[in-house]
Amino acid sequence: MSNSIFHKLMFSFCLVLVMVLAACSSDDEASESASGENTVEFWHSMTDTAGDAVEQVIEEFEKEYPDIDIKATYVANQGEGQNEKLLTAIAGGNPPDVAYFDRFEVATWAAEGSLESLTDLAEEAGISKDDYYDFAWDELIYEGDLYGIPTTTDSRLLFYNRDHFEEVGLDPENPPTTIDELEEAAEKLTIKDGNRFERIGFIPWFAQGSFYSWGWSFGGDFYDPETGEVTADDPKNVEALEWITEFGKKYGVEDIAGFTDSQGSGAMDPFVSGQISMKIDGNFGVASLEKFAPDLNYGVTPIPTPTGDNFKTWSGGWSVVIPKGANNQDGAWEFLKFFGSEEGQKIFSEGSRDFSVIDSVNESLGYTDDPIFSEFINILPESNSRPVMTAGSLYWNALADAVESSTRENGTPKENLEEVTQRVTEALEE
Amino acid sequence: MKKMEQSDQALVEEGMEASIKKKSKISGSSINGWLFASPWVIGLILFYAFPLFSSIYYSFTTYSILSPGEFIGFSNYKQLMVDGIFWKSIYNTVYFAIFFVPLSIIIGVALAMLLNMRVKGMAVYRTIFFLPTLVPHVALAVLWMWLLNPGFGLVNGVLDAIGLTGPNWLGSVTWSKPSLILMSLWAIGQPVIIYLAGLGDIPQELYEAADVDGASWLQKTFKVTLPLLTPVIFFNLVMGAIGAFQQFTLPYTMTQGQGTPDNSLTFYVMYLYDNAFKYSKMGYASAMAWILFIVIMLLTAVIFISSKRWVHYQGK
Amino acid sequence: MQPKVKKNLLTTSAHIGLLIASAFFLVPFLWMVSTSLKPVTQIFTYPPEFIPNPFQWSNYIEATEYIPFFTYLSNTAIITVLSTIGVMLSCPLVAYSFAKLEWTGRNTMFIITIAVMMIPMQVTMIPLFLLFNKVGWVGTPLPLIVPAFFGVPFSIFLMRQFFMGLPNTLRDAAKIDGASEFRIYWQIMLPLAKPAVLAVGLFQFMNVWTDFIGPLLYLTDESQYTLSLGLQQFQSQKGTEWGLMMAVSTMMTLPIIILFFFMQRTFIQGITFSGIK
Repeated sequence: MSNSIFHKLMFSFCLVLVMVLAACSSDDEASESASGENTVEFWHSMTDTAGDAVEQVIEEFEKEYPDIDIKATYVANQGEGQNEKLLTAIAGGNPPDVAYFDRFEVATWAAEGSLESLTDLAEEAGISKDDYYDFAWDELIYEGDLYGIPTTTDSRLLFYNRDHFEEVGLDPENPPTTIDELEEAAEKLTIKDGNRFERIGFIPWFAQGSFYSWGWSFGGDFYDPETGEVTADDPKNVEALEWITEFGKKYGVEDIAGFTDSQGSGAMDPFVSGQISMKIDGNFGVASLEKFAPDLNYGVTPIPTPTGDNFKTWSGGWSVVIPKGANNQDGAWEFLKFFGSEEGQKIFSEGSRDFSVIDSVNESLGYTDDPIFSEFINILPESNSRPVMTAGSLYWNALADAVESSTRENGTPKENLEEVTQRVTEALEE
Repeated sequence: MKKMEQSDQALVEEGMEASIKKKSKISGSSINGWLFASPWVIGLILFYAFPLFSSIYYSFTTYSILSPGEFIGFSNYKQLMVDGIFWKSIYNTVYFAIFFVPLSIIIGVALAMLLNMRVKGMAVYRTIFFLPTLVPHVALAVLWMWLLNPGFGLVNGVLDAIGLTGPNWLGSVTWSKPSLILMSLWAIGQPVIIYLAGLGDIPQELYEAADVDGASWLQKTFKVTLPLLTPVIFFNLVMGAIGAFQQFTLPYTMTQGQGTPDNSLTFYVMYLYDNAFKYSKMGYASAMAWILFIVIMLLTAVIFISSKRWVHYQGK
Repeated sequence: MQPKVKKNLLTTSAHIGLLIASAFFLVPFLWMVSTSLKPVTQIFTYPPEFIPNPFQWSNYIEATEYIPFFTYLSNTAIITVLSTIGVMLSCPLVAYSFAKLEWTGRNTMFIITIAVMMIPMQVTMIPLFLLFNKVGWVGTPLPLIVPAFFGVPFSIFLMRQFFMGLPNTLRDAAKIDGASEFRIYWQIMLPLAKPAVLAVGLFQFMNVWTDFIGPLLYLTDESQYTLSLGLQQFQSQKGTEWGLMMAVSTMMTLPIIILFFFMQRTFIQGITFSGIK
């Protein structure tokens, strides 16, 4: 790479100048990072209940491993495609020893060589796929190597307001299972006044109704890991998007947008305020319902499919990883192991109310006895993870664009999905 | 009248031919100049030079922050030419800039003149006009979504009262950009302060002289105030254009980075950011940055060259 | 008599115009304050309610306990004050040389100054980080403070415009008296540009006070964090603590409001009072 000679010269020049300055300021904080004998630096983005739960995990860990000291630091914007700080820290060769990391991005980062492979360590410690849900483990594998230990998961179902169902004469014990039933229920539940919804029955793309949910429910698929083929335009996916587009047309896409734009999560959720009767949401939605609307009479059921069986969902979740170049990899690995162990999982899951990636933990915490939570747990074995590939974020955004464009009648569903396939394929080929 | 050397057109011309032309000044004053400018010259080399040259270099590579990538020549630039979202983001950004920049100048100057009157309680008024710039973007975004909500929003409520049916502001592809322009105009506090400072610099004698001549308010505005305000108007025009082309935070927070509806709020730097930090394509993003640089540079050059006709410096 | 009536009419209409416009500009701030005082259940009601019922003052106490508010506040204050001082020292000096001095390379340097603003920081922040990382400044507030002492292009450009607008007569007179260039700058030109210097200081203060990405990248220890990083901690996967977040936002904006309130007086004093005669 001889082209970068100038580049390097420039860098050295600036470096010398800044160093002179640095010398003048004589700051001794710089050498601080090497101070602790066995300190594990841990970056996470958890606040609130999850923040408390992770503190408990650390406390218990330090009790069991008194010679290891975990230094946990809250880092804003970590995960969900916003990893500026972790990116720069790794690029600068000064990363934390452990990072709490969105599993969705593991493949991309692993492909860049930015995460330490854990394959050998896991094998040695006897940790394997059998300990966890399949999809959670698979999401951490890139080209045959393991790059993280899973910590949490979730799943998506249809939430419905039982009181609304009764009010319009639907049976709250028999929520819709087919797409046709769903549409029928939505129509009955909707109250529209002019271009304004007093109440809307259902919006396919609202909350967690991402296109992955619908594609899989319609029997489609998105990626073949064997051949590396992108199949956004799978005929079943096209069917799903056509249905979504029709739905939007029927109720007025702009009117729906006007409705959803003023909504959000938590206390802003229109499901909480009774303005929407059905929505697709994850189990994390339950926590906010408990918090903001403890008396709401609702139920959950699998996302309807055209045939009324073969219910599908998808799961995301988090993991702990060791960034490339971490100083204390041994200590880090001990912490990873503990976090992913049954013991660590129990502490964390109980505190945060996030699902564990270990089935037996979810059972022992009573999630399977809970009428709502059990539905989410029961579908986990059928769950998918989003395609494990280097262009995961691009795929996600491109699908969201395709839904937007189609519902706005900017190209047909088929055209838009073909474009997604093309865009993602190109990105993968690079 | 004013000598050419003080005008900004001369500046551009000279700058472009580098500094061959030596002024017939003694070298002593040159030393003074460099001495005064030295902090910035050092700062420029220390904190700007390396990042800038790096980003040029990156734009010819597949750099991804995490890995250095390969040198691929002009591929990134070529690929951009056929990238649909790239063009869409250009359209959105130019649309925004064309409307926002002139509007912000007209409204900014008008507000500043209003706020420069000697009226009781002016300190309070000025503070109020400055407030929206201080509200965090997250809060501002939510508030606007409420105000512009077609069902419950205050704006459509008012329109309703006078017998108009308001559009679906942020939910409609046609209205989303005008809505954003409206929002951005709200946070006009910064340019207004600059105009106020500029108004404070206009010598009172000029108005007194105009009063003696029996000039009307309108005449004073157009013959005294505005001409003497042109150096700061010029500043706000240049900075406004640069800022408009780099529009990012407000639409990004408001649409959670999605640029909805239907990419109508996907602005240039938003797409650049996605490429850099979400799609691991920092090289591609750097290419976008340098295309943006060339566009703004050309635009700024035009502003600078035209400035000779309308910017009046009191100096000399 | 006539002119007096006319003047009264003018001030009255100015008041009315200002009042109407201020109502419009006051809304976001009032909304922020009112949200900061609302109980959780009242924050998102339809149609929105403006007046908290009851006034939940405890939000403020809770907010300062939710994050180490006072630590963050003092961190933010230190960084902001130092970098503001830096800008107010360096930028007028540099701008003066661009506006009033003649030197070889001046115009080229000025064009470069404008040009560096045209590259979005999103692409330059990584190489800059690597540079600071190499000298071991990451994990300290230095990268957020030191560059300000070397000048900020926005402020240099703004100051230059102001100096260009100042008449040269004073400078020439002083020169004849044999004053050195620095003395002319320090004793004559700088006092004349006071409103602009203060404006530049205010902008720097605001920008650094609310800066998010800088502290995010460079501060690695929670005990060094600033308020804008603290603000993020009210957002979690399970939703946002709007009431608390707005309480902190309100407390964050107060110092700037007070600063501005006292500072804006210098604008109206203007040039006639700063001793031009």
